[in-house]
Amino acid sequence: MKQKTITQSLSWLHTWSGLLFGWVLFAIFLTGTLAVFDKEIDNWLRPEIPAHSLDSREAAQTALDYLQARHPHARTWNIGLPNERAPTLSVSTGEQRRGGGQALDPETGELLQVRETAGGGFFFRFHFTLNLPRLLGIWVVGLAAMAMLAALVSGIVIHKKFFKEFFTFRPAKGQRSWLDAHNATGVLVLPFHLMITYTGLVIFYLIYMPAASDALFGGDREALNRALRGMPEQHAGQGRQPPQEVAGPAPLTALPPLLAEAERVLGPLASLSIHNPGRGDARIEVRPLLGNRIELTKGQSMVFDGVTGKVLRAPAESRPSLLTQRVLAGMHFAQFGGYPMRWLYFVCGLASCAMIATGLVLFTVKRRRRHDGEGALGAALYTGAERINVSVVAGLALACVGLLWANRLLPFELAQRGGWEVRVFFLIWLATLLHACLRPWLRAWQEQLGLTAALCLGLPLLNVVTVNRGDYIPLEVTILVIGGLLAACAWKIGQPAPERALRVRTEVN
Amino acid sequence: MRRERGATRPQGLQTVNLSWPMLSRIVAAVLGGYAFTYAFTAALARLLPLQPADALIVATVLSFAVYTGAILWAFACRSATRAWAGLALGVPLALIGFWPQLLERLG
Repeated sequence: MKQKTITQSLSWLHTWSGLLFGWVLFAIFLTGTLAVFDKEIDNWLRPEIPAHSLDSREAAQTALDYLQARHPHARTWNIGLPNERAPTLSVSTGEQRRGGGQALDPETGELLQVRETAGGGFFFRFHFTLNLPRLLGIWVVGLAAMAMLAALVSGIVIHKKFFKEFFTFRPAKGQRSWLDAHNATGVLVLPFHLMITYTGLVIFYLIYMPAASDALFGGDREALNRALRGMPEQHAGQGRQPPQEVAGPAPLTALPPLLAEAERVLGPLASLSIHNPGRGDARIEVRPLLGNRIELTKGQSMVFDGVTGKVLRAPAESRPSLLTQRVLAGMHFAQFGGYPMRWLYFVCGLASCAMIATGLVLFTVKRRRRHDGEGALGAALYTGAERINVSVVAGLALACVGLLWANRLLPFELAQRGGWEVRVFFLIWLATLLHACLRPWLRAWQEQLGLTAALCLGLPLLNVVTVNRGDYIPLEVTILVIGGLLAACAWKIGQPAPERALRVRTEVN
Repeated sequence: MRRERGATRPQGLQTVNLSWPMLSRIVAAVLGGYAFTYAFTAALARLLPLQPADALIVATVLSFAVYTGAILWAFACRSATRAWAGLALGVPLALIGFWPQLLERLG
């Protein structure tokens, strides 16, 4: 360490944080890229839900009629509304708000028999928890995000000449091509890499860095939340009536005008809850879709009196500092800007994946010919890294498309079906690791990429054969394109020419 | 540019020789860096001439850039000792950030 230059030390940091966290980061970035289209994937996973042309107000009325007929005594009714991205109308009773609920046919108002599935939300949850217990997962992902930031900034310092190198691409030259590809994907969307990593950390900023909250508020979240909302103390519990005051029966106000007013203030609506329906103290809480504005509006709502229809609480405007944090978080969530923005995030996300994957491959390609120079430990390490690379990059892609296949192939009535889909996902991923260890290195790449390509290309066919319903043309075209690209990769690996330089060296070794 | 990629640089790629100074730097970067950032964020939130809630958000949102800087510092400076010395600046920062709590503790 004595005579190392700054570039060398930072290069060490870049290489090792990049390798050790690169595996986790690839998984985070790939599932995050898929989560850009989580609702669209979710629609594919629930083919029983029909497309319809009802607007959200008509659908809400259908759901309300159903709840009034079937659950007249429930304390709370929850209705999830269909929107541009998802046709699902769902109902539930009680306090539960997230996901859940039973799907309702918006036309007939009857319950739908929908297959149980992990849903598109699986990729979203995996993206920020890695399917670990929530808080542990958030910390692991946060640590990986910090490693990504450190690797990005040290990468910029190492490649000081990177704007010049950006225009350099020497294809089919083994290691150099990998380096060029890594630099190109790194530089091309560098602002995106930095933005998405930093804003990802900002979402859970108080979990990761509670210092200021500890210093100024003694770690008291309640006090902090009041201060953030700029509210005096007595307003904190507004919207809840004291429970002892039992109100008499009273009819519910008409929903459509109330929803129209909410839509005027909030923009398109996501869901509503009706507390104490049919009583004098009924409250209707309406929540907007995320993405009506850049600001992440999670948790915002508008509350109406359920009898008179008067507005009891309009959503508060965030103070400038909080708005800054929420806009940063919103930039990560990419709910604003509609489909053009989603596609931009999707393509940039794929570029991030490509940068991480080429970096991982570059690590092993660079060291391939030096195994013997570093003793048994070094050789074992690099061989291990090569195998894990295959499983993390190609194997994860296989597991993701495998989950879609499991959704169609598992028996409809299987208990815990959603859990089994997730199990299939992890079993496939584990199998790819075994496969990568047993097969020759390049063959393992080729076979796993080839199988992934085959599953992607076969997916539209599978849909036709198993359920034959639903209109998934955008998703299916996308997955066919991805399948085609993967097939091209697999074919390319099988060709001797591009890898000749590498092969010769391997044989010498 | 060429030099970095040349085949005649085995030394730079000898990466398995994890030495004690290197281990010390890693710990300095990950744990020392976090402790420094924690202290820095608390001090910044205390010193910013804003309302507490605003100061908290500004300081916390910036903290990830500070942590990144601390990690890079731990690797970029000349020796592991210097890396730790720099991060020790966190101690006075922590005193600034938590002085009311400290005064309370001391009576």
